[in-house]
Amino acid sequence: MSNIFSGIKEAIKKFLSSTSPYEQSVEEFIRELQRILIKSDVNVKVVFEFTSKIRKRALEEKPPQGVSRRDWFIKIVYEELISLLGGEEELNVLPKKKPYVIMLVGVQGSGKTTTAAKLAWYYKNRGYRVGLIAADTFRAGAYEQLKQLAEKVGVEFWGDKGLNDPAEISRKGLEYHLSKKAEIIIIDTAGRHGYGEESKLIDEMKAIADAVKPDEVILVLDASIGQKAYDLAKKFHEATPIGSIIITKLDGTAKGGGAISAIAATGAKVKFVGTGEKVDEIEPFRPKNFASRILGMGDIEAILERV
Amino acid sequence: NSLAEKFKTKEIKPEDFDEIGNDFLLELVENDVAYSVAEEIINTLKNTIIGKRVPKNSDIKESIKEALVDFIKKNIPEPDLDIIEAIKNKQAKEKKPFIIIFMGINGVGKTTSIAKLANYIKKNGMTPLIVAADTFRAGSQEQLQVHADRLGVPIIRAKYNSDPASIAFDGIAYAEKKNIPVVLIDTAGRMHVDRDLINELKKIIDVVGYDLRLLVIDALSGNDSVEQAIAYEKNVGYEGFFLTKSDADTKGGVALSISVETKKPIYFLGTGQNYDDIVPFNKEWLIKTLLGEK
Ligand SMILES: Nc1nc2c(ncn2[C@@H]2O[C@H](COP(=O)(O)OP(=O)(O)OP(=O)(O)O)[C@@H](O)[C@H]2O)c(=O)[nH]1
Ligand SMILES: Nc1nc2c(ncn2[C@@H]2O[C@H](COP(=O)(O)OP(=O)(O)OP(=O)(O)O)[C@@H](O)[C@H]2O)c(=O)[nH]1
Ligand SMILES: [Mg+2]
Ligand SMILES: [Mg+2]
Repeated sequence: MSNIFSGIKEAIKKFLSSTSPYEQSVEEFIRELQRILIKSDVNVKVVFEFTSKIRKRALEEKPPQGVSRRDWFIKIVYEELISLLGGEEELNVLPKKKPYVIMLVGVQGSGKTTTAAKLAWYYKNRGYRVGLIAADTFRAGAYEQLKQLAEKVGVEFWGDKGLNDPAEISRKGLEYHLSKKAEIIIIDTAGRHGYGEESKLIDEMKAIADAVKPDEVILVLDASIGQKAYDLAKKFHEATPIGSIIITKLDGTAKGGGAISAIAATGAKVKFVGTGEKVDEIEPFRPKNFASRILGMGDIEAILERV
Repeated sequence: NSLAEKFKTKEIKPEDFDEIGNDFLLELVENDVAYSVAEEIINTLKNTIIGKRVPKNSDIKESIKEALVDFIKKNIPEPDLDIIEAIKNKQAKEKKPFIIIFMGINGVGKTTSIAKLANYIKKNGMTPLIVAADTFRAGSQEQLQVHADRLGVPIIRAKYNSDPASIAFDGIAYAEKKNIPVVLIDTAGRMHVDRDLINELKKIIDVVGYDLRLLVIDALSGNDSVEQAIAYEKNVGYEGFFLTKSDADTKGGVALSISVETKKPIYFLGTGQNYDDIVPFNKEWLIKTLLGEK
């Protein structure tokens, strides 16, 4: 399975040892890179913008003294990929202020409720008082799901099955948690895609955001999402500006290229990744690891060091 | 075949195909046809198109589209059984419940699709039994209970963390005792690469048997749809698909990918979050969605 992705290693080797003219080698390499990115589910338009940027730099820039043009090109590719992922730095995942209100949004089944519990677990273990709010009034069992998870993690939970307005629930939940001196409050919302008949669900999302004025809206994105990631992320971003992204289900085989599309569509960065169903299966996002996953090679830096 | 005819037509040459073929490949990929499948399809279309004579002023892209429509008509399977008929047949012949097992990775829509199918079966005059054999995910039992209550169908529930195979077994026994014609078994979401969970699923299937195993796939997924379909085929086995979330402005690419790759039929499309949002699959839908106007 991963052998179809092992192309990049070969492509680099071929590029560095090829005797074809530089421009032609660049073109060949770029083609391979496009294939790899598209197979990883990066949006096709994002891929082409990305590679034309690389092409431009490859043809215009002069390498520093003592570095060959070909080695320099590989460095450009890596640099640009990392910058596509939001830069080399890992984000500070701790809240900038207290109390801090987080609202989770995303497509049906992307992992919002589970991620709400994971975040609660993560921050609780770092000494924060966390509160969860169940604002999904649509999905059957959503309330019980979050409540059971809150018990498992051992954090405060607020929900009201008698209410059916998610904005009202969120406002009341916020009051409740603030009265309990919560430092981080996480709101779980219903899944939505917003196309066709669901367009009213986008309004619902806006209404929740209006009611609680979240410090951060996080887009929860399933690693297996395809080309639609770009359009969807843009749609969400236009309704409630996306502050950061969490990629879930990276324990499967999906490469997660949809996250790159979502970054491109929103300008937001990835904060965490989900790597399993259990509440502790969450990690801060590491751009270099993710780049290796997309490119299908274990250790991208080892190759770059030789360059 | 006359000389005049020859004069008015042109033969499609490989070099005519390549650039347009490449554009078309990208179009397929943009509609979430998996890259490997799109390549395979383009190669097949290429072989059928090259050497063909077409009117001189005709657009090769149109020829490719036509070839794709042909390809879909010839190669995309449709279910060879009507579920309602099959349930009735089994009742008439064996007096035993027809067993349908739902499986798939996390969050694709298994539980919701069970509720929809239960509703569909009810509308066809029969009452199914739902078995909540997801004993793992928080809230899964309550989720299915709500659906069963709303639909007015019986449900067999389990304790969290109990053995899903034994609850499935109890469910079948109950259905046999009560003469319930069809049992819908919900299972926990699991990654196709999680060996322990896949073995657990196999055990459920071994214990209760099956008439139909449906792999649930999310229409919003990209290249991974094919990985899921292949791995589940190899490690578990199934008869066909339930393709969910096709209301999310998706373009049929996943439907094409999984059918071409596995040659297994899609039984139903999920087209929304309500009970009536279930549509039996047919090729015409796929052709229309994928190619627009056709
Ligand atoms: N394998 C795996 N499963 C995950 C991960 N994150 C979430 N899940 C599972 O994905 C499924 C859907 O998760 P939920 O948290 O219910 O998703 P949601 O976005 O809240 O769904 P809706 O509220 O219906 O829109 C559940 O089975 C979760 O256990 C992950 O990182 N890995
Ligand atoms: N828009 C839309 N949403 C759907 C469709 N099918 C399911 N959903 C939604 O997808 C989400 C996940 O559905 P579930 O039925 O819980 O998925 P599941 O596969 O049982 O999830 P796990 O048991 O956690 O693995 C829910 O919010 C459903 O309402 C569909 O056809 N269209
Ligand atoms: Mg949820
Ligand atoms: Mg389920």
